[in-house]
Order: sequence, then C-alpha cells, then structure tokens
Amino acid sequence: MDDTRSTRREFIQGAIKLGGGALVFLSGTSLAAEEHPAERYDWEAHRYAYLIDTTKCIGCGSCVRACAAENGVPDGFYRTWVERYVLSAEGSHVDSPNGGRDGFPPIEPGFHPTKSFFVPKMCNHCKETPCIQVCPVGASYRTKDGVVMVDGDRCIGCGYCVQACPFGSRFLNPATHTADKCTWCYHRVTKGLMPACVTVCPTGTRQFGDMLREDDPVRKAIEHERVAVMQPHLLTEPQCFYIGLDKEVR
Amino acid sequence: MPEISGYAFPNDIHVHWSLMIVMYPYITGFVAGSFIVTSLSHLFGKKEFEPVARLALGASFSFLMVAFLPLLLHLGQPLRAMNVLVTPNFTSAMAGFGILFNFYLMIVALEVWFVYRVEIIQIARRSRGLKRRLYAALALWTYDTSPEAQEIDHRAVKILTGIGLPSACMLHGYVGFIFGGIKANPWWSTPLMPVIFLLSAAVSGIALLVILYQVTARLQRRPIEGETVQGLVRWLWFFLILTVTLELLEIIMLAYERSEEWAIISPLLTTRLQFSFISMQMIVGSLIPFILLMIIVMMNRYLHERVRNTLAFAASFLLLLQVFSMRWNVVIGGQLLSKSLRGLRSGYTPNLLMSPEGRFDREGIVIAVLLFLAPFLILWVFDRVLGIEPKTEGHAAHAGAHAEAEARLTSGAAS
Amino acid sequence: MEHARHVFRVIFVLLLALVAFVLGRTWLVPKSYGLYGPYRFDNVAEQAAIRAPLHAGAASCAGCHEEKAKKLAAGVHQHVSCEVCHGPAGRHAKEGKVVAKAAIDRSFTNCARCHRKILGRPEKFPQVVLEQHVQQMGPSALEGKVCLECHDPHSPKL
Repeated sequence: MDDTRSTRREFIQGAIKLGGGALVFLSGTSLAAEEHPAERYDWEAHRYAYLIDTTKCIGCGSCVRACAAENGVPDGFYRTWVERYVLSAEGSHVDSPNGGRDGFPPIEPGFHPTKSFFVPKMCNHCKETPCIQVCPVGASYRTKDGVVMVDGDRCIGCGYCVQACPFGSRFLNPATHTADKCTWCYHRVTKGLMPACVTVCPTGTRQFGDMLREDDPVRKAIEHERVAVMQPHLLTEPQCFYIGLDKEVR
Repeated sequence: MPEISGYAFPNDIHVHWSLMIVMYPYITGFVAGSFIVTSLSHLFGKKEFEPVARLALGASFSFLMVAFLPLLLHLGQPLRAMNVLVTPNFTSAMAGFGILFNFYLMIVALEVWFVYRVEIIQIARRSRGLKRRLYAALALWTYDTSPEAQEIDHRAVKILTGIGLPSACMLHGYVGFIFGGIKANPWWSTPLMPVIFLLSAAVSGIALLVILYQVTARLQRRPIEGETVQGLVRWLWFFLILTVTLELLEIIMLAYERSEEWAIISPLLTTRLQFSFISMQMIVGSLIPFILLMIIVMMNRYLHERVRNTLAFAASFLLLLQVFSMRWNVVIGGQLLSKSLRGLRSGYTPNLLMSPEGRFDREGIVIAVLLFLAPFLILWVFDRVLGIEPKTEGHAAHAGAHAEAEARLTSGAAS
Repeated sequence: MEHARHVFRVIFVLLLALVAFVLGRTWLVPKSYGLYGPYRFDNVAEQAAIRAPLHAGAASCAGCHEEKAKKLAAGVHQHVSCEVCHGPAGRHAKEGKVVAKAAIDRSFTNCARCHRKILGRPEKFPQVVLEQHVQQMGPSALEGKVCLECHDPHSPKL
C-alpha cells in the first residue's frame, strides 16, 4: 500500500513540475518574431494629418460619394459625411441628409438664419483613441504613420468601439458584421496617392498631409494657423484639424 | 428606418447593443445576487439563510451556465468569440470577461463540489450500474467521507465563498464598468455605474431567491421559514434603498449641474423612456416594492405568515421587473441619444422571432425569454442530481453530524 | 494530509486545465500579434493591399483626354476633378485600357448638387435659384439637360 502511494505521489509531483514548467515557458509569449519582408513603404517615415477648411465647403457631397465608391461602403452607413449648420441667436438647425451624399436640399428653418456652413466629418484618427482602448480582442489599432484601422479578420463584431467613439465615426458593417470606419484610404496613401475624398474635393476644403514632411502645406497650417478639433474636452487628440469651426459644432 | 427628432450623427441611428445586451447584465445580476445570498449563510454564518443556501448556490450555478449565451448570440462574428481568451486587450473592460467568467465558474463549480461531495459519494454507494459510475465520476473518484475530510470540505467551502463573493461582484461589476467607462456617452459615463449595477444585481438575486424559495418549498412540501423570508426581505429592502438612491442621485446631479448632456438626457427620460423609466423602473418597480417591503420590515411582529409571504412575493416580482427595466434603460436608453447630443431616435422595439425581412432574429424576444427560462430548467436538473433541499448535517461539524457520518461510513462498508 | 487527498486531486485537475489552456492559447495566437502593439501586425500590409485604388485624380484623365483637360484647366471648373461628374476613373479604364464608358450625368440634379442656391454655401460661391435663373433665360423644363443647354460643363462661364 505504501509503495503505490509513494509512486503515485511521485507521479503527481512530476506531472505538476512538468506542467508548471511548460506554463512558465509558454505563458504570454508571442513566438519569436519572424523576419518580415522589407516593405518599400516605410511607415515610420510618415505621420499623417488631415485639414478641413469649413469656410470653403459647398456641401456638394462629392467626397461622400467618392468614399462610398472607393471603399465599398454600404448604403445607410458612412465612412465620411457632411453636416450643415444653420444658425441664429433664436435657434439652430443641423442636418445631414444621407450623410450629404446627394448634396443638400433647400430648407425653411423656421427662424431667420444669420450664418450657415458645412462641416465634413470622418474618423479623426485620434492619438489617444477611446475606440482602441475598448476593443476586447486587439482588432483595432493605430499604425506608426498615425492611421487607426480595424483588423477585419480579428474583429468579433461586439460593437464596443462603435459605442466608444465620441464622434459617431464607426459602424458595424452589415455585410461583414465587423466594425468599419474611415481608413484615410490607407490602400491609397501607402502608394503616394491622396485619400479619395481629398482627390475629388472641388473646393480644396479637404487636404491631407504629412507632419514629417518638410514644406507640407497641411503641416504648415496646423503649426501656424488657428485650428480646432472636435470635442477637445475629451482629450482624444484628434488628427483631423478644422479651420473655421463654430462653437455650435460638436 | 427609425425616426429622429433633432439631429443625430448619420452612423448613430442604429441600436447595436440589443435585447441580448440587456439580458446579459440581467442574468449575471442573478448570478451575483444569488451568490451574495449563499455567502450570507456559508461565509457570514447567518443561520436564517441556511434553508436557502443550497438553493441560492444552485441558482447562481444555473444562471452562470447560460450567462455567456446572450453575448454569443449578439456577436457579429460569434465563431471568433475565443479571440477574447486568446488575444485579450486588457485596456478593455470587456476583455475581462474571459478571465472573470472562467474564474468565477471554477469557483462556483468547486464550491458545488465541496458542498455536495459527501452526498454524491453516499448516492454512489447506494446505486448500481450507470448511476453509480456517474456519481463516482462526479465525486472525481474520491471516497473519503470521514469527519476530518468533511471538516476540510467545510473549510474549503468557506474559503471558496470568501473568494467567490468578490469574484461574483467583479463578474457583474465589470459590466457596469463597461458602460461607466465610455466617456463618449453621457448617459453611461459615471463612476457610479459599476456600483449601481452591483447593488441592482443584489436586489435581483435576493428577489429571485424570495420567489424561488417559496415556489420550491411549496413544490417540495417543505415549510416556508418565516425567519428566512424575513431575513431575505430585510436585505432586499436595504439593497433596494441603496440602488434607487444611487440611480436617482445620478439624475439629480445631472439636472443640477445642467451640463450640455442634461439638454438631451432630460428629453430622453421624459419622452423616449417615459414608460420604461418613470412608470416601470421608478413607480411600479421601486416605489411600490419599497412600500411593500417597508411594511414587512417594520410591521414584522404583526404579520401573519401568509401575508408576509405574499407581500414578499409580490414585491420581489415587481423588483424583477424593476431590475430588467433598469438594464433596459441603461443599455437601450444610452443608444437612443445621439453622440451629437442634439437628437434622439425613436424607441427600439426588438423583434419577436423574425426580422421584418423574414430572417430568424437570434436577438429577439422569444430567444430572450428562453434564455431566462433555461436556468430554471438547469436548476431542476441540479435538484434531481444534487438536491436543493436544505440539509442540516454536512454544513457545520458538530457532534451530531460527526456521529451520523460515522454511522453512515460503517453502514456503507457493510453494504 | 491523508484526508485532504481529494483536495489535491481537484488542484491537479485545475492545473491540467490551466496547462491545456496555455498550450492551446500559444497555438492560437497569430504569429504577428504583439510585434508593435496589441494587434496583428500583418493586417497593416493587408490593409495597404486591400483593394486597387479606384479614383485616379484629374491628372490621369489628361493622359487620354488632352483637349478636354486643357479646356477644363483654362476655365472656372479647373479645380473640379473629372471624377466628380464622371465617376471614378477605375470604373472606366484599367491599366490604360477602357473597360466601360465613363458615367455622364447630364441632368439638372448633377449641377444642382453644387450650384443650387441653398443655405450653407459660402456667399461668393456661384449658386442660382433655378426657377429664377431659368425664367431669366426663358421658359424651360426643370429636369433634363436644362443647365447644359447653355453651359459647357468643361468651361461653364458664359
């Protein structure tokens, strides 16, 4: 009786040692990094930023249409959209019919407006994102060149990031059932092109730039002119900068 | 398409977190609340809760078994659900689900095992064939029912309850944190959220036990102990007061400070959530049970058993509705207001079983009702296999139990 | 200790489960996960190659449509990309070869999107109330090619 008990004890002790050792060895490691093929595009050489001059926007909606075509955005969802603000001391009216995709209709606001303007919006690619913070599976991330994206293969479609975005930039794609949003047309900018919205904007409202490039006009404007961002009190540090914003814009 | 009053961001008009996300905190609330009741007996040694200790443990276990289902049914990509365990991003409160759920599951499973181990072995000894093998497997093929082993079992139960109570609270509290940590949504963003969720869970759990205790006692022809009902009611009243105080405090504070969020939350409460918040959560769900429970607590001496039981049952039923409407108002209410803080969308009505396009909706009302009923089925199986009746022996190691155990051992050896 | 054997059995089972979990997890974690942060680094390259760029920019249209481009560049529509009215170049030509006719929208709606007078546009931007503008020119249908009957879209100023 004693012999079997001690061999059993030894076996259990040995198993625990083996298991514990495997545990310590394997826990938390991502396997040794493989060599990644050198990319011609160097993401450390860029830090992108976006400039929007709302004094120039005419609300044509070409950007919304171009984005939808370029990125296959489903109907009723928007990677970018345009808002119209019609304001006076007596009242305010804000609208964005179909995200501004087909332009804006004439309206009777019910008060005499003293100022009105358009504000194009999209994902702000914040530096301190609330959306990446809340992604439970690490599907949302920010690249070294400053673009926030969603890994469509890892996203579980929980929708937490959609709730966490203060700007309403994100949505759950009804076709893929994963989170989706503006990517600053990463497939274009890595090839030296501009995002589709910037390419078609007829008034120069939308500009895309690189904070690491000398003589970049967007960089100059951000560094030397007065610019604003959306919901600055939340300290998400958006990288979409606005010229001509009004206190009514959120 | 939902109707919008005011202006909502174009992407904001969808309610992504549906009825399933209302059910999840509702169910984990029962898990945590039931465990609080069982810990009142196992950990804090309050004698009046002994009749419900096992029932509460079984209820906690049963609801835990289905707790992950609302989440799985809600996910856009449910087949990738394991990603939360494989690559959790711990800045996200939601990533805690994997660890908290599995840890608490382990604790509850262990506690059930230690509480019932001796009886499982006794049943195994009394049985033949498949039943014997099943019960022997349930006991992990241990056989020691000596008083010393039982003493170790009791100590283990106490330790497990001690660990389990904060784990249960974490399992439900982290859900409150999921909402409370969203600075983008002013209806959710408050440090009070985890506390409100947890206190509300205690209310739902105790209310559930009041109902379950009376129903199972009736069904199993056991007397309903007045002391137990009174004890449950007292704790229920206490937690109810705390919960409603905090829920109201949040709103009063918002109204007092009059920040920009009050401009949209006020119409949210008075228009979109008028029925579910003011009528259901506050009046029917809080005020009336408060009065009923107050009667029981304050006039305990003058109450007949029947009156006490009926009042407690009625109050508990209303409180089950209150907790559900509280979850609804938080989850759905928070999505009815746009992040533009300028617009509200029309109320969200979940589909019964099919979406308007004719597809099966896995987040519909029928599924939610099934999810709520399933734990009771599991509890019934739990009762058949292990038994939820209170047992006076096997709890505390006093002399009587010692002698009984000895007698059983000898008789077991003889058969 | 003799009477605590069942506890050790439980602990052993738990340890087994833990080891199985850790081993399983290591097998399931993607290889590029965690290299630069809590995400799958391979996705960066995947996103960069997710689709071929569809819009080409006005400069690329000039490659085949030189005269139109010259006319455009000399007129007031010089900053309006061809793709605003004609749709993405990628739907019209791939690798220098035409795959489909470029969309041409000659309707009033197309011009109205920018030039109909509405609240919101900058004051100095040319916009018209169509009914008044047309009545100045003479009675005509509101839909159809009404703007193009007078204005050349590539050099619209009269």
